[in-house]
Amino acid sequence: MATRFSNWLDARTGWRNVWDGIFLRKVPKVNWLYTLGSASLFIVVNQVVTGILLTIYYVPTPDHAYDSVQYITTQVALGWLIRGLHHWGASAMVVLVFLHMLRVIFLGSYKFPREVTWFSGVVLFLVVIGFGFTGYLLPWDEKAYWATTVGTQIAGTPPLIGDLALRILRGGEELTAMTLARFFGIHIWVLPAILLGLVGLHVYLVIKHGISTTPKREENSHE
Amino acid sequence: MNEKEQKEYLQEYKKEKEKGVPFFPDILFKDAVVSLLLFVILVALAYFLGAPLEERANPANTDYTPRPEWYFLFLFQLLKYFPGKLEVLGVVVLPSIVLLLLFILPLIDRSPRRHFLNRLSVTIPTTIIVAGIVVLTYLSAREAPPPSVTEKGDPIASLYAENCSACHGTSIEVKPGANLHNIIAEGNHDGMPAWSADLTSDEIDALAGFITSPGGSQLFNQNCGSCHVVEELVEGSPMDLKQALENGVSFLPHASVQIPDWNTALSLENRTTLLNFLVAPDGQRLFATNCSTCHGSSLAFAGSDKELRQVISQGGKHLDMPGWKEQVTPEQLDQLSSYIVDPGSAPQTQALFQELCSSCHGEQIPQADSIESARQIIESGGPHRTMPVWGNFLTTEQLDALVSFTRQSMEGNSVAVGQTLFSQHCAACHGALGEGGPNPTKAGDIIAPISSAEYLKTRDDITLMSIISQGQPNFGMSPFGTSNGGPLKDDDIETIVGFIRSWETKPPVELPPEVAVPVLNEKPIQLYAFVCAQCHGVAGEGGVGPEFQSVDFQSQRTDQEIFDSINIGHGSTAMIGWGDILSADQIAQLVALIRSFKQTTVSSGSPDNVSFSKGVLPIFEAHCTSCHGSLGGWDGSNYASVMESGNNSPVIIAGDPQASLLVQKLFGIQTTGGSMPPGTPLTQEEIDLIVSWIAAGAADN
Repeated sequence: MATRFSNWLDARTGWRNVWDGIFLRKVPKVNWLYTLGSASLFIVVNQVVTGILLTIYYVPTPDHAYDSVQYITTQVALGWLIRGLHHWGASAMVVLVFLHMLRVIFLGSYKFPREVTWFSGVVLFLVVIGFGFTGYLLPWDEKAYWATTVGTQIAGTPPLIGDLALRILRGGEELTAMTLARFFGIHIWVLPAILLGLVGLHVYLVIKHGISTTPKREENSHE
Repeated sequence: MNEKEQKEYLQEYKKEKEKGVPFFPDILFKDAVVSLLLFVILVALAYFLGAPLEERANPANTDYTPRPEWYFLFLFQLLKYFPGKLEVLGVVVLPSIVLLLLFILPLIDRSPRRHFLNRLSVTIPTTIIVAGIVVLTYLSAREAPPPSVTEKGDPIASLYAENCSACHGTSIEVKPGANLHNIIAEGNHDGMPAWSADLTSDEIDALAGFITSPGGSQLFNQNCGSCHVVEELVEGSPMDLKQALENGVSFLPHASVQIPDWNTALSLENRTTLLNFLVAPDGQRLFATNCSTCHGSSLAFAGSDKELRQVISQGGKHLDMPGWKEQVTPEQLDQLSSYIVDPGSAPQTQALFQELCSSCHGEQIPQADSIESARQIIESGGPHRTMPVWGNFLTTEQLDALVSFTRQSMEGNSVAVGQTLFSQHCAACHGALGEGGPNPTKAGDIIAPISSAEYLKTRDDITLMSIISQGQPNFGMSPFGTSNGGPLKDDDIETIVGFIRSWETKPPVELPPEVAVPVLNEKPIQLYAFVCAQCHGVAGEGGVGPEFQSVDFQSQRTDQEIFDSINIGHGSTAMIGWGDILSADQIAQLVALIRSFKQTTVSSGSPDNVSFSKGVLPIFEAHCTSCHGSLGGWDGSNYASVMESGNNSPVIIAGDPQASLLVQKLFGIQTTGGSMPPGTPLTQEEIDLIVSWIAAGAADN
């Protein structure tokens, strides 16, 4: 029965090719450091799921943001867990992505043929930082407000373009409802779209090239 | 990497791959283990630490020290090393270069070697950058502790650090007797701002104490800080403070708490330091708590500072007014008497007053109730005043401050008259310094301070005068103007307003009343004193309102009628309805009290056997005998003198607390002279004890 069903499905979707290509492919033996990438991916999933749940209750206006976050934390069933996971997930994400990057640098994995994987990785790193920066403002507590005030000020430091950058970030001279609305928009629409696209590319490239091997001390150099 | 090398790599990799393991399940298992572990860690963090949420964002809060999320801290720290125009270098240029290099890393490092020891040109800079980030993060985290973790240190020391140390460094040298309070409040030299706008009066005093006696602040925190706050003791009576330190556990309010005997726990030097910290600095406050009950807001003294100092420290009979009968003509006597009662009526007498009286009285005109009594006093010489031996209670620094303030305040003015009137008519509810307190007519209600800068700025003289004249029946304030049935003439009211206005330049106190004054437990006798006595007499002898002692009054009215009068008032008279202010229970208690006036005895206390020697005498000894001892007048040091001595003896009428002068003084309902003891009143328990002792017959037991 099960075979018949899987045959039926395969004839229509070709899933076996995908399965064989992704899951049954052979991979060089590697150590535990090579799990940092997949751990980051797991956190992405965690952030997406908890983030979607949070938007059900969160209201991105200065009047209600703080109250809604408080409501999520104290009233919503398991709201503390959802918010806690999202909060600590954000920190874990930065740590993991950073370590993942160091692993790639120290084991030389960015080299041929994985240069594009590396490029997409660096952009992903910036996206993660962007997530952290925009998400920090959303609870609209003292810490959020003042840290973002200082953070956006930094964007205003370069000569010539600084002022413009500051105004674009804040949506005006001051940190206001405009800023909150735009940070919220970036945090839940713009960045996730970029993130998912890049993660797709990144993972596709990883599967295509396979995990890099652990380099040996005595390498044959032809220089 | 050339094409050959690329091919070699791919072949090498292919071999490795064939030797390898399938992605599923081998690799995926490892990934799953790590992810699961990670998830458990996240849940644990969420459960045990939660996601922090501080106070709601307040754009007006400029005190907040902003701190970015921890992974931006290194950038935050970096900012500090690039001050001013270089800032852009540190926070924009440098990170951008690093990021750019990071991005193009595969294009720079194109050799086929992959092991990190074979690529030191990449791995060493990376290590340096990572180490830099870690160190910067650490420095930043260590340098600025998160604002939620504030140290509970020495509050006055930090007040000093915040406000004074920037200009004055760690300590300030002060001339003895300098009025530090004024200097701080008014900022009286070049570049020093006036602090009265930023600091409360109590904070200024606490600072002044800290400056005079920095060690005291530390001693306070170590020994007193767990039970007391500085502001609470700063306005206390120095006598009480000194006794608290010297009597140790036998100090009455300390009797029930477990504290060391300060007399042995602290050296004499430390005790002085502590006292200086708490009360030395402010001559104005010292004068108000210690002297003003007798001397008003200022006094005249013709002698030198040294003599003044001697008088204060030695106390005793310092004001022996001679009898003038033989020395002035009857006309002069008449003129002086009427001038004293109403200075406006005989301005020409001013010269005479200055000639004869000012050498002792200064510009301050003594107070007299009527021309007759004034004449009597001038003729015979007034009753001498006794003064405690302040030298026993005050430290040298305190005496300095007091002498210099007394000097300054000697330019007497109408404010002094206003203060006297205020203390007679207003202080019972509003406090001597207008600080307010529990509303005696309305349970649970608090009378807000009327001496705050805010209150005074928002009310003009006409408003204040009409409030005093018409009262505020809704809040339990009865009308005081003669036109509304009260005791005060328009001139008096104007003078009181003048006195109230004098607070504007120097607000005397800014403590919220619920902190400043313990909530009184209103007993019917106190209610009566505050609400009824003004019109109906302290003992119901009558006045503007009917006499309660009369048989007519008592026999012609039922309890219900008296109740209704209090509850609703009488539209045609000055009697306002108190029903909005007093509860039915309170009114009923008042009715019972009024009913008791026709009887000879009032029992307002438990008739328990209160011992004179063990209960009452210790209270007298602690609070009264420093003035009322062997110096003359009433003597509170033993039973016989308690019952018999005094200029108005007897002060105690056995079995009738209400009629006893002593009790009236304790409650502050005796309008001639202030309440006793001056400064801090006795506690309710102490008063109750004395009242029940008198009610039980005032026996020598």
